[in-house]
Amino acid sequence: MHAAPFDYTRPSTVDEAIALLSRHGEDAKVLAGGHSLIPAMKLRLAQPKVVVDIGRIAGLSYVREAGGRVAIGAMTTHADIEASRLLTQKCPLLPETAGHIGDVQVRNKGTIGGSLVHADPAADYPAAILALDAEIDLAGPRGRRTVAAADFFVDLLQTAILSDEILTEIRVPITPASVAYEKTEQKASGFALAGVAVVMTADDLRVGVTGVAARPYRAAAVEQALRGRRQPSPEAIEQAAAHAADGVDPLSDIHASAEFRAHLASVNTRRAIRRALERM
Amino acid sequence: MKIRLSSHLPATPGRTFSALVDPDVLRRCIPGCEELSPASASTGSGASYVVRLKVGVAGLKGSYAGRVTIRDQRPPEALTLGFEGQGGPGFVRGEAAITLQEAGACGVDKSAEGPPQSLAARTGTEIACEADVQVGGLIAAVGSRLVEATAKKLSDDFFRQVSVELSR
Repeated sequence: MHAAPFDYTRPSTVDEAIALLSRHGEDAKVLAGGHSLIPAMKLRLAQPKVVVDIGRIAGLSYVREAGGRVAIGAMTTHADIEASRLLTQKCPLLPETAGHIGDVQVRNKGTIGGSLVHADPAADYPAAILALDAEIDLAGPRGRRTVAAADFFVDLLQTAILSDEILTEIRVPITPASVAYEKTEQKASGFALAGVAVVMTADDLRVGVTGVAARPYRAAAVEQALRGRRQPSPEAIEQAAAHAADGVDPLSDIHASAEFRAHLASVNTRRAIRRALERM
Repeated sequence: MKIRLSSHLPATPGRTFSALVDPDVLRRCIPGCEELSPASASTGSGASYVVRLKVGVAGLKGSYAGRVTIRDQRPPEALTLGFEGQGGPGFVRGEAAITLQEAGACGVDKSAEGPPQSLAARTGTEIACEADVQVGGLIAAVGSRLVEATAKKLSDDFFRQVSVELSR
């Protein structure tokens, strides 16, 4: 499997990268960790004329506390997020989620920015990013803008990012320990058939679901059913979790039918809420 | 794989049917269609077209060359679309049975459950499409995880575009 011919560029600053993207438009693709783009290129499912490798741009890989939130550079690998002590203390949902991604090789090379922009419907991060109400910074020729997680995921493999923009930073809130990510994975690929991330605070419950529909979503019906309940009973959790796929059109393929995916969404929602509650 | 979808189009079954068999409409509505021209050897009752498509989602796109055949035409209620294409990532072929029904017609249980005002608003055509699609080559061997979701999205895009055409 060989990729179609392409030009390789390696900018050393974000501005240089944006200039390249502005010049080449739809013909260019950004290369981050390369664990989605390179396989797609080898299969010739993606045939960019120009690859813009942002791997050598300094200062895009970090985890630091800033303004009451934790800021994560776009090129931070899944392994670095999984191992981050700061995140484990301040926002444990993200390291827990990162530990579920692919295998060791994927986690060592794949990046959070690359994964979010690729927007695979079965990727793990989107569930956590939605449940955390994260902020995503995009840089482009018209300057920088911040997009809320709820507005970021648009459709299958499509996000709010434009073809001349680069994702630079993700900011997540500081949360209590009462979070959880529960996932049923497709055994061969490790991708989520249904992955559910839960963030439970004293006065709020947020539930993000990935793998079930063409785009990740917040399980609004579940959140609403349990809103204001400090110690929901197992029955109340079970009843609420039954609505985990309400209003969505579940994907269906040889790995799982739409009905099975919706069922897994409910099961994992129940498990994740219970585990988050235990950590309160 | 089987793909089943339904759609609502804002025109009578008669107009909708004419749109679905009109090569100019198809050229404008098929996602990624770069060329659609009559094939030299059209057979009997059906019409056959040579197509060139660049399809996919977001950055994942492949180029395909192939043929679209319209047959079993029963205006204004049913037709069958046959398609086959070959490209870098593999091949796609299949058949879509499309049925058209006047919205609000008797026996449409979907609208019967809705609130009364939506019943009044749902004039036009309810389309049901049942496709049987075979995908082979690299795309099936390795890329299969996203094929079905992609096919569904492209079909949705097609009917949405036809809907725009009919609203003109």
